[in-house]
Amino acid sequence: MNPILELDHVSKSFGGLKAVDRVSFRIEPGEIFGLLGPNGAGKTVCFNLISGVFPPNEGSIFFDGMRTDGLPSHRMAKLGLGRTFQIVKPFSNVTVLENVVAALGISRYDRLTAIWSSRMDKRIRSKAMELLEQVGLTGIAHRKAGLLPLGNLRRLEIARALAVGTKLILLDESFSGLRHEEILQLESLVRQIRDAGRTILLIEHNMKVAMGLCERIVVLDHGRVLAQGSPEEIRSNPAVIEAYLGKQGGSHAA
Amino acid sequence: MSGYLLTLATIMAINAIAACGLNVIVGFAGQISLGHAAFFGIGAYAAALLATKAGMSFWAALPLVVLISGMIGLLLGLPSLRVREDFLAITTIGINFIVEAVFNNFEWFGGALGIGGIPRIVFFGIKLRNEGFLLLVLTALVLVMFLCWWLTRCWAGMACFALREEETAAASIGISPVRFKLLAFVIGTAMAGLAGAFYAYFMRFIAASDFSFPISVSMLSMVVLGGIGTLWGPVLGAVILGILPEVFRPLIDYRILFYTILLLMMIRFQPGGLLGETSAVRRLFNRWIPVPAP
Amino acid sequence: MQMLIEQLLNGIATGSIYALVTLGLTLVYGILRILHIAHAAVYTIGAYIGVWSFQLTGSLGLSLLVGMGAAAVLGVAIERFVYFPLLRHPPFVPLIASIAVFLSMEEFCRLIAGPQILTFPARLPFPSFRIAGVQVNETLSAIYCITALVLVFLWFLTTRTELGLAMRATAQDIAVADAMGIDTHRIISITFIIGSAIAALAGMLVGIYYNQVYPTMGAIPAYKTLALIVVGGLGSIPGAVVASLLLGLAETLLIGYAAIPLPRDALAFIAMIAVLMWRSEGLFGSK
Repeated sequence: MNPILELDHVSKSFGGLKAVDRVSFRIEPGEIFGLLGPNGAGKTVCFNLISGVFPPNEGSIFFDGMRTDGLPSHRMAKLGLGRTFQIVKPFSNVTVLENVVAALGISRYDRLTAIWSSRMDKRIRSKAMELLEQVGLTGIAHRKAGLLPLGNLRRLEIARALAVGTKLILLDESFSGLRHEEILQLESLVRQIRDAGRTILLIEHNMKVAMGLCERIVVLDHGRVLAQGSPEEIRSNPAVIEAYLGKQGGSHAA
Repeated sequence: MSGYLLTLATIMAINAIAACGLNVIVGFAGQISLGHAAFFGIGAYAAALLATKAGMSFWAALPLVVLISGMIGLLLGLPSLRVREDFLAITTIGINFIVEAVFNNFEWFGGALGIGGIPRIVFFGIKLRNEGFLLLVLTALVLVMFLCWWLTRCWAGMACFALREEETAAASIGISPVRFKLLAFVIGTAMAGLAGAFYAYFMRFIAASDFSFPISVSMLSMVVLGGIGTLWGPVLGAVILGILPEVFRPLIDYRILFYTILLLMMIRFQPGGLLGETSAVRRLFNRWIPVPAP
Repeated sequence: MQMLIEQLLNGIATGSIYALVTLGLTLVYGILRILHIAHAAVYTIGAYIGVWSFQLTGSLGLSLLVGMGAAAVLGVAIERFVYFPLLRHPPFVPLIASIAVFLSMEEFCRLIAGPQILTFPARLPFPSFRIAGVQVNETLSAIYCITALVLVFLWFLTTRTELGLAMRATAQDIAVADAMGIDTHRIISITFIIGSAIAALAGMLVGIYYNQVYPTMGAIPAYKTLALIVVGGLGSIPGAVVASLLLGLAETLLIGYAAIPLPRDALAFIAMIAVLMWRSEGLFGSK
């Protein structure tokens, strides 16, 4: 099968500092794929490269069989890539429902009709409600997004990503800052999404969650690929234990 | 209505149209423009030149004027919007100084003497003056406000709001930042051009200094005072800043000081403006006109 | 030839004054990302305080110190009471506040001092000398020397001292600097003190150079210096200095040799837009 996403020797540096250094991996359609590593390993930079926030300095990225490095964010979204943000970025001054409606507007934003077609479309509203139901936010659909607690905002961002990411969804630490039962709910949501035919790439700090959820994992350290494989292989990889779990054991209590 | 009140009301309505345009740029799309008077001036000069040099009637010239202002907005906005946000503030100030200087120094634009002899608007054989002119400007204001209201309801407006709130997130859901910032900029400058055309026909004599940087600041003050991003804010701001000089006529020497301190206090303690959220006026407003439950 | 050298010398003097004002602006932008238009009001008020204390005491040295001191207090007050509480708002909010502060202070000066021009008949005791047959008078010589001293002082401060390191760290990322234990609010205040004092110095030098102090004297540098910090690359000190000197020279030479039908301000902004089209990050800026 063709991979849905492939990174081929991708590098990105900021002012001489190599944030991502010749990273390569490929993700098959229908996988739940994990991107792990200690703080500052370059995971979020990888996400930003994949989703087109900035272009890589070197290397190429293929999404769904097309070379996409250098394409801007809005083009990537149009190709069917949805994402969340580690530091949540809701549209704070509008309601939860409007946030999702905005994302469903993806089919309109690249046409001139965006000027004269109303966004008060009934079909789109009910579709947005469906998405909110999937993430369990129907009860607060009409609340202003800026007033919600972090857990709800993370789910809101997932709903937004679902509206856009018909092929691949990137989750950037969507589980961090959540309570135990929220994590369980979200885990089953991620599996549901995958079972519905989408691919998921996630960054996760919580090892237990990552090991339980992901089918394959890439571990980054200092911008480089340290190891990749199944959770079992990662767990028993001495380099990973040394560089990541070792450090983590000491400092991750916080 | 007395002639004096009519003049005041007409100027306020013209300013309100321009302020609504600025609000589309600043309030709806979150872009800063400090050169709005330049586009107001481009509209006024285009209208004046089309009337005096090309001999066109107001009605034939009006769509052209709006088009010209919008196109120049597109041309000047494109390079500025590509760069960082702070640059836009500075480039728009620059555009204001350049445009004023061009009007003031080129013979073709009347130079320091300005352009006079602009004819009256003829509507079905009747020369519009006083009430007639005011009615025409108010009709235009209603149309402009309808367009602004529509922007809050259509997808393009949604895209602008999303960009204002969180640009990265907006791009991640398929909104092209450059395209929609530019759209807001062009709509805003076209509205400024429309207001400028009315200004030219109302004054019947225009000069470069009518469109200098302080005018841009006062237009921005209208938007800030009334409420950035609200529908009625710019109109309220234009009315208040239109009435204030009359109320404070005895204190004419302290007028500018008073204005600027008012603007400072407003932006410092109530950046959302009179009609902004959390403002006292807004709460009062809501008590009179309850918001329908969603 | 004689005339060309004379114009070059005048151009460098104009550029030096621009540089002194622009320095404060670029320091503030570097640290707070605010376009500090009210900086030009600090410059004007510095000049006024300087003139008044000179009229009272007759001592130039004392007047310069008083002017710089007063400007420093004013600068910190603007930072504390206007900018600092507005930092969480979108950037146009502090920008509008800054314009309001600038215009109200300009008005304030006009109301207090009257619209008339005050003279600043001070002599700057700097050596006059000759270059290629052209006499460089005391005032020009003073402008060169003082600008050079200020630049050396700033260079030393930012690259060779603990304080400079803290300033650079704060400019890089306030949150990180805070986490490193730097008292960032103190650093911000110090930045305003330094920038404002230098602006006042520039205001007083201009007052002496042209023998004129008047309420709207700040309007000339207020907007032009914005163009300069953009051309130099926002936040870059060397960029701001080079851009200032280039503009000073260009203005003087253009006015001397070419009949350009546009005023100086417009030319500065046309140059700025041209530079931005060519290098959108400015001469010395980084993307």
